[in-house]
Amino acid sequence: MNLSEKCKAHVESCRFCWMCHHICPIGNATGQERSTPRGRALGISLVQREAIGLEEIMDNVYECALCGACVYDCTTGWDPVLFTKETRLAAALDGKTPAYIMALVEKCLTTGNAYGKTALCSTLTEAINAHAEKTDTLLYLGADARYAACTQAVKAIRVLEKAGVPFTVLLDEAPSGAQLDFLIGAANETREAMAAAAKQMDAYKTVVFYDPNDAKLFKQTAKEYGVETAASLSTYTAFLAALVKDGKLAAKKGDKTVVFQDPFQLARDLEETEEARSVISAFAELHEMHLNRGETVWAGNTLMAEYIPDVIRLVAKRRILNAKSLGENVIVTASPSEYVSLKAVAEDVEILSIEDLILA
Amino acid sequence: MQYQMNEFLFAMILTELEDAVGKENCSTRTIDKVTHSVDYYWLSRMWADRGCRMPEADIIVCPENAEEVSKVLKIANYYKLPVTTWGAGGGTQGGAIAVCGGIIVDTKRMNKIYEVNTEGMYIECGTGAIYKHIEWAANEVGKATMHYPSSLTCSTVGGFLAHRGIGVVSTKYGKIDDMVLQMEVVLPNGDIIYTSPAPKHAAGPDLNQIFIGSEGTLGIITKAQIRIFDQPEERRFRGFLFQDMHAAFVASRELLQKFKPSVMRLYDEAETASLIKKIVGVARKGAFMNVAIEGCRELVEVEEKLLLSTFAKYGAEDLGSEYGEKWWKEKITFFYPGHMMDIPQMFGTMDTIAPYDKIEKIYWAMKNAIETNYPQAKFIAHFSHWYEWGSMIYDRFIVEGKDVPQDPVEALRLHQAIWTCGVRAALANGGVVNDHHGVGIKLGRLMKEQYGSAMQVFEGLKKQLDPNGIMNPFKLGL
Repeated sequence: MNLSEKCKAHVESCRFCWMCHHICPIGNATGQERSTPRGRALGISLVQREAIGLEEIMDNVYECALCGACVYDCTTGWDPVLFTKETRLAAALDGKTPAYIMALVEKCLTTGNAYGKTALCSTLTEAINAHAEKTDTLLYLGADARYAACTQAVKAIRVLEKAGVPFTVLLDEAPSGAQLDFLIGAANETREAMAAAAKQMDAYKTVVFYDPNDAKLFKQTAKEYGVETAASLSTYTAFLAALVKDGKLAAKKGDKTVVFQDPFQLARDLEETEEARSVISAFAELHEMHLNRGETVWAGNTLMAEYIPDVIRLVAKRRILNAKSLGENVIVTASPSEYVSLKAVAEDVEILSIEDLILA
Repeated sequence: MQYQMNEFLFAMILTELEDAVGKENCSTRTIDKVTHSVDYYWLSRMWADRGCRMPEADIIVCPENAEEVSKVLKIANYYKLPVTTWGAGGGTQGGAIAVCGGIIVDTKRMNKIYEVNTEGMYIECGTGAIYKHIEWAANEVGKATMHYPSSLTCSTVGGFLAHRGIGVVSTKYGKIDDMVLQMEVVLPNGDIIYTSPAPKHAAGPDLNQIFIGSEGTLGIITKAQIRIFDQPEERRFRGFLFQDMHAAFVASRELLQKFKPSVMRLYDEAETASLIKKIVGVARKGAFMNVAIEGCRELVEVEEKLLLSTFAKYGAEDLGSEYGEKWWKEKITFFYPGHMMDIPQMFGTMDTIAPYDKIEKIYWAMKNAIETNYPQAKFIAHFSHWYEWGSMIYDRFIVEGKDVPQDPVEALRLHQAIWTCGVRAALANGGVVNDHHGVGIKLGRLMKEQYGSAMQVFEGLKKQLDPNGIMNPFKLGL
């Protein structure tokens, strides 16, 4: 396995460090020792020393959500996400990607999404078609919203309609490459997908990313991968915050008391924490969870649920416990993927999206 | 009965364990074996660094509660399989290494917080909970656990109990053995027992103290009630430079007869030399001491006056509060890679404890023993947990560069030899094998040297509770 010197340095530092043992949302939910940055680094370091085979660590390498909680927690700047992603890429180049991951990659390459879906739900198709006309603003829905959370995607469109702003949604939206980036990192296939999406975005003055994962990819990762777009890029939450501030989206405070589930891509990668809060506060009473903003705890996603669904259920349940321990019973999300994960296991708490709050 | 394990029997046992804890909580995968084979013990890390595989368990099980642990131990007892308990692997003594193979019981699925009881001032939790998580739970209701070791985020409640851990504010709030009320324990035969509802009583010896520090050799602690405290209204720091360590000891003993600070850290001249330059900008000789006092504001006011007047009496120079405040903020940063000793260095922390009449003698004996016999080793020390009657030495040896053998067996032999030399010097002068990291496989050989015929008490307990000797073999000298 060919890893960069930078990657090896991170592996060598993390393999014997326990300081972020408490932070991994998957490790905490499953109790598995291997689901810790040090467990993963130790495995990679032993592969590097030919003490074990690469295939023996690959499942564990794919048990990481790349949420960056460990990176955020590390006061000395070591980066388990970096070496996990690079190991995924190195394994792919060596033909050692597990078969169940390759199946998802194949679906991404053939259908544009890891779910292998070839058609949108009819309601979403109808909603998109109503905004087929070219405007300056593209609402980029992303694969998770289009194929795993289509009801939420429709609501995202309805909210912008309510604000009365002109915008376009594409029926043939090019895949962002976010799913490929998660599965095989900076491979050529990922860069090509991103470049194609960027080309599509170039036709617009502003691109609004509904999914924080796509926002992170284009606002942050794209530069590293040498992919550029001429469009101005915005998160959906920042776009909504501006609409509320400008009075285009009329605020009406309801009687709900809620807590906000910060998506890690916004809170940690893009350092955007207050925009969503300003919108939520306009429509509900906002309380805080103990671990919020940069310390947020990832609550699951739909992509990993394709191959470790039981683990994702445990992760979502544990995050719900964080809210319940404070006596809170309404969680508001800003990520379609986290919304689906939490909704799937919510029993005595209510899971809402920001769109749900606005449209109520 | 001795027997040869074979593939058929192994597969049979595996199905029984899967039945006990669920198939998904039972693993024979390489990644699980290797991650449970390397803990914070220098030798296990060195072994892995050299590309060698440490002894591994054959099967890793992750039970959810005492009932499942009970089932596992009954199976293990029937087949006479070794059982090693694993918390989070943050131990430094090799206590969690499955040196004889067999079963590892990873406790982290037993991480439920059952109750945050602000009336009884305790949190009841599974012992697989990471301590930081129960600190968060305490913080949510405005309380604190006041158990803040550098391994707060690395270790489970059970891990601290098993090794009699200690935190940086121990002088005021106590060690982990002071922090626990009732415990649930699974005995090696699978029986689930409960210690007394309160730890202070005259209903016979304290059952808690039989299991705390037993390192998984007498049973598995599965649930505990951990004390919580009010957050202090005020926490103040003060740094002092004493002319020498002796003056600091005399002053501290006098101070502790008056009240208990939370933090007391006295550094020997070697550690002071590097610290003091950072604090006052120039190198100064002496012994640096960092003290924190905390609690109700009115009491803190009074205690601060007592602190200043007592230490002034012994010639301590008052260095203000800046260093202490910075240290508090960064007290855990020191343990991150790049700040902490790490491979390729060879190192060890040989903490011991003794009354004031012996503690200085022990320090000098250990320092002389290490520096004389192993001149390649650097010796530094500080004293960071204090009582009315004595103090703990946190002394370290560090070997660097070419002096660290690359051959793993040679490195192991040198590491063992330095440890034996240092701990024997402590024992010979009235110290103990260890203060708060435990014994594990690292120091088991020295337990009989400390206890002599008193060791039969431990051996008797072991024989009665674990007649098949399955529980964490070769640890604690048992």
